[in-house]
Order: sequence, then structure tokens, then C-alpha cells
Amino acid sequence: MEVKRSSNVKTAVSVIIPFVLLAIMIGYVFGPGSELIGYGVVLPEISIEKVEFVDSEIIATVRNTGQISVNIVMADINDRIYPAAIEPDKHLERFESAIVRIPFEWNEGEPYAVGLTVDDGTRFEKQVDVAVQSIKPTVEMISYFAVIGTYVGIIPVLIGLLWFPFISKLSRSKYKFFLALTIGLLLFLGLSTAEEAIEISANNLSDVFNGVLLVATVAVVSFLALNYVGEKLRKRAGASKLAGPVAIALMIAIGIGLHNFGEGLAIGAAIVLGEAALGAFLIVGFALHNTTEGFAIAAPMARTKLMIGKLAAMGMIAGVPAIFGAWVGGFSYSPLAAVIFLAIGTGAIFQVIVSIMRWIQNEEGKLSNSSVLAGIAVGMIIMYITSILI
Amino acid sequence: MAIVVAIVSFGFVGYLVFPDVYITAQEQPEVFVTHTGAVVQTTGDVLDPVYTIQEVEFDPEKYLRDFDYGKVSQLEDGTILREYTIIAEDDKIMEIAPGIFYNVWTFNGQVPGPTIRATEGDLVKIYFTNNGSKEHTIHFHGNHPAEMDGIFEIVGSGGGQFTYEFIAGPAGVHPYHCHVMPVEEHIGHGLYGVFIVDPKEGRQQADEMILMLNGFDTDFDGENNLYAANTIPFYYHHHPIQVNTNELIRVYVVNMVGLDPINNFHLHGTLYKYYPTGTDMVPSEFTDMTTFSQSERGILEFEYQDTGRYMFHAHLTEFSEKGWSGVFYAKDSSQLNMEGYAYGS
Repeated sequence: MEVKRSSNVKTAVSVIIPFVLLAIMIGYVFGPGSELIGYGVVLPEISIEKVEFVDSEIIATVRNTGQISVNIVMADINDRIYPAAIEPDKHLERFESAIVRIPFEWNEGEPYAVGLTVDDGTRFEKQVDVAVQSIKPTVEMISYFAVIGTYVGIIPVLIGLLWFPFISKLSRSKYKFFLALTIGLLLFLGLSTAEEAIEISANNLSDVFNGVLLVATVAVVSFLALNYVGEKLRKRAGASKLAGPVAIALMIAIGIGLHNFGEGLAIGAAIVLGEAALGAFLIVGFALHNTTEGFAIAAPMARTKLMIGKLAAMGMIAGVPAIFGAWVGGFSYSPLAAVIFLAIGTGAIFQVIVSIMRWIQNEEGKLSNSSVLAGIAVGMIIMYITSILI
Repeated sequence: MAIVVAIVSFGFVGYLVFPDVYITAQEQPEVFVTHTGAVVQTTGDVLDPVYTIQEVEFDPEKYLRDFDYGKVSQLEDGTILREYTIIAEDDKIMEIAPGIFYNVWTFNGQVPGPTIRATEGDLVKIYFTNNGSKEHTIHFHGNHPAEMDGIFEIVGSGGGQFTYEFIAGPAGVHPYHCHVMPVEEHIGHGLYGVFIVDPKEGRQQADEMILMLNGFDTDFDGENNLYAANTIPFYYHHHPIQVNTNELIRVYVVNMVGLDPINNFHLHGTLYKYYPTGTDMVPSEFTDMTTFSQSERGILEFEYQDTGRYMFHAHLTEFSEKGWSGVFYAKDSSQLNMEGYAYGS
């Protein structure tokens, strides 16, 4: 026992020593009195992450995304200086954020540029295409977004599930084709989710967040985590013959749910940002698009007997997040949160693809089968065509 | 270990996504007034260069009526000699608007430089020392020999010296500025000032003041971020220029705004007689609106009959809403005296 404990201590020490040495080195190189790294000029940088329009006031959320602390000293609208207030205070440490309130009689539907100047005189600007009254989370608005989420998420997915009887009557090779079709659908969804995450990060996040790498990291981590959970899920229910297809369908539903959360975000944000036409387009487009997702959930379960309860539950898992997405997008839109959610969705979808492929391989034989390849291709093409409608 | 990493990373992400949760409000609310007169309360800091009284290093109130007549002596032939010392520096960081710090290049430590004033025909000697890290000169507008022009006579950094010597003329208001290239940069950082030459016969007694119209491109993007009359944006909003009713007011206006091709001046409540460059004793115009191109200048003469607050500003509203605006506060001098009398007795 004694021996084991001392070896534990030794292990712990051997883990810690490199960290200690590293800390000493960093302290020496960067610490006070060091002149080694004194070259170059560090410029301040802030990002205006969000602009809201309320009664007689424009509110900007600003974050210090540079490497040094800054003071925000002046606010302007359309390059005209206005008295303003900053809460909690004008000094921003690295990554700290604040709210700038600029009293301003703004006009609905007009574009505005909000500018903030920091103590060295550098001005940072955020363009807003259309000024629209910020939406407050009233019961009315909450139910409005819930209804939209239902139309976009739940109903189309449930409609898609109605293909279940059709798929279950198919011959083996045709069934394989439709399973592969699901892969194609998901592949497209995964890519479009990643694309959207990268787009949002490029447009709304400061460079300091390394948008593309943030998406990649979160996607890979979510992929690995879901892989682990999925494996556990399958092992636990191992004995039952049903477990495989149900587990896969469940994972597909979860992955699609995360994706639909992203769709809800997009719709909520579009409505809040006053892009009503875009919002309507998104609703119609996503609704059409999402019926194919119902199909994707139904496909792996088609070989089992019809379990209406489970199928409906999965439809809900896939569809309901659209409502949450619409709420988050509509009421407390944060680009960073949106990017993270979408990246998680990306990882989830790719994990599902891997699961289905593995399943096809185990249950139905080779992947390089012509009906599988054709299925994937047709799936992607269908998604591409429906996506044009958005 | 993994758990600690997870908690820390979640906490960090949470802070980034929902910073509001971590914000704790100050106890004492502050108050400020908007352009439309609304009063707004805040638990945070007020960012208001327009209406809140702010003190910065440079005092536009002092600059307004500060004329440097030089060290005066008389030569044997009766000519008046005026001697001035001007020192250039380029390492000063000055608060040019509340909270905004800018590297100003200065004549005698200030932007604009001192207002040099002489009478037509006087011999002017300016002992110039360049204590900056770059080369500088002084180029006076007006009459002088070619070798006194401050163009080819570059004065070296770190204590270089030159004496500018010429007969003051013609009568009027002129700028002086550094003429080392890139001139836009040397002027943009603040190396300029006003040179007034009074006519031999003098001008009518008046309340005289200087308005140097200038601008600052604080982020070097080729557009001015701030405009002002006498350097500090909005200064004469919270420190109105006090004038008396029924007293002649004479304003020497010089436009040294760079980057923008034109600037202008608009006066409220009355019109003024305008003397372009101040070189003619007969006004060219009776107006309330004058356009100035770069380094264009003139003299304005007017008076107010009624007491009250009268705005003056660029009618290029962009400039006025970025700092180039102010207020004359006209008070009744006789009434003030009466009040003082009544109060005292």
C-alpha cells in the first residue's frame, strides 16, 4: 500500500514538474522587468457585437477583443457624436463587454452605423442595415415564435415520418438505397450547418475568436462526445435486436434537432433584425427542406415493426429545438452562442453519418455498393434543390 | 483534471456568451442630457463631450483672447522690433477631447501655436528651435524674403535652430505652419498657428478673439474624427464665449482643417461684416455664412443687440456634430453694472 501511494505521488510530481518549469519560463520572459519582448505596438481592438433599437435609444453591446485593456470614450451614430452612457463602466479588460446606451430618435427601416471611439482615438463601427424595434419576450412574442418553430420544425418532420410505411415495404437493395439517401441528406445538412457557423463567425465575431477553428474544434469535440454516448447507448441495449436501428434513429433525431435549433436561430434572428421577407422565405424553405429530415429518421427504423410512439417522440426530438432556436435567436441573439450551437450540430450530424455507414456495413454488407453510392448522391442533390428555395 | 478543464472552459464560454450575468451595477446613478433635452439616468459612466463640462490640458478659453506681441524694442531708425521664441516638439500626448489621447506636434507646447501679433512695418524676429525628433520649419503666410519662407531652410531635429526675420505685412490675418513634407501630416498633428498683422492706422476698438478651425484624424484613416474651433471639440458649448451686447466683436477666423477640402462658418442671431484675409479695410460681404478652403481665413465684425445664447458652427453639419460648434453668450454690460451697483448698495 505504502509503495503504491509513493508511486502515485511520483506520478503526480512528474506530471506537475513540466508545468512548473513552463510557468517559470513564461514568468521570466513576459513578467515584470523583462525586456525580451518589448518590441512592436499593440493596438486596441473592440467589437460591437450587437445593436438594439428601443424607445428613443440605440443600445450597442461592445466587447474588448484586443490584447490590451481599453477605455471607451465616445459614441456616435452615423459618424455624428452623441452624448451616451456605458454600463457598467467605460474601462474594458480583455474579453470584457459593456452596454453603450445612445439616446437617439431613430427611424424605423433606415440603416444606421454605430461608432465607438477608444482612448487612443481609434473608431470602430458596426453597420445595421435596417433599424427595427427590438422584440421583448412578451407572452405574445413567445407564442408567436413557438408557432413558427412548430411550422418549421415539428410539422414537416412529422410529415416526413409518414414515409415510414412506404420505406418498410421496399426490397433490400431499394431499402439500402434509401438508407444511403439519408446519408446524402445528412451530409448536405452537416456541410450547410458548418457553412452557416463559419458565415456567422465571419460576419459577427471578432478575429480573436478564430471563427473557423472555433467551429472545427467544437464540431470535433461534439462528434467525439456523441460517438462515445452513442456507443454506450448501443452496448447497453445490446441484446435487443431492435436497439441498433432505434439507437441510430435516435441519434439521427438528436443530430437533426441540433441542426433545426440552428434553423430556428436563423429565423428568429431574421425576424428580429427586421428582415421580414428573409424570415418568411426561411420559414417556407426550411419547412419544405425539413420533411426530408423526417424521412431520414424513418429510414433506419423501417426494418423494425412500426412503433408509432417512438417515431413520434423522435420527430419531436428533431423538431422541437427549432422552437428553442427561434426563441434564442429572437430574444437574446448572441453570435458566439449561435456559432457554438451550430458547430455542435455539425459534429452531431457527421457522427450520425458515421453511425449509419457503420450500420449499413454491419447489417447490409459493403458500402461501395451501387445503390448506396447512388443513394448518397441523390440525397445530396435533393437537398441542394430544396435549399435553393430558401 | 478533465473536470476542472471542463468547468473552466464552460465558465469562460459562459462569460463570453452571457456577460450580463457577470456585470454588477454601480450604486450611484449618473445623469446626462441628450441633444433633445431629455434627461437620461445611467448606472455606468457618461460619455458626453458635448454638454458635460470637461476640463482638458489645453485651455481654449485662454487661447481665445491670447495675443503674443513679442519682446518689443525700437531700432535706431524708429522701426519697432518684435522678438519671439518658438520651440517645436513632436512627442507630446495630449487629451484633445475628453478621454481621447493624441500625439500632438506643438509650437511652444500647444495646438494651435501662440498667436503672433505685430503691426504692419514692424521688424519681426522669430527665434525657432526644433526640439522634435523630426525636421520642422515655420512657414509664415505674408510678405517675406525667399530665404525666410521656411521651405528649403529645413531645421534639423534635436535642437536645430533658425531665425526668421522679416517686415510684417500685409495687414490682415495669416496662418503659419510647418512646411516639411508630408505637410498634411505635420499640420494634421498640430504644427500651426495664427499670425495677425495690424494695419498701421489700427482697427476700431473691439472685443477681439481668435477662432482656429482645426481637425484631428485620430485613427489615421484619412478622415477627421474630430473637428473644433480652437482644438477642443464642443468646448464653447459647455464654456460659452462671454460677450457684451452693443459692443463690437471682431473674430479672426483661420481654417487649418486638413483632409477635407472645405470648411465653413455660420453665425446665429445676426450677420457680420466679412473681410477676406483681413487685407482690405472695406468688408466684402455682409453675411452669416462664409466658406473657407484649406488655410483660407478672414476677419468677422458684428455685435449683438439682445442678450442670450447664440450658436456659431460649421454649416457642414458633419463637422459641427463632430465638435466644430459653440455658443456666444451675450450679456447686457450696462445691466450687469446696474445689478452690481444695486447689489453692492
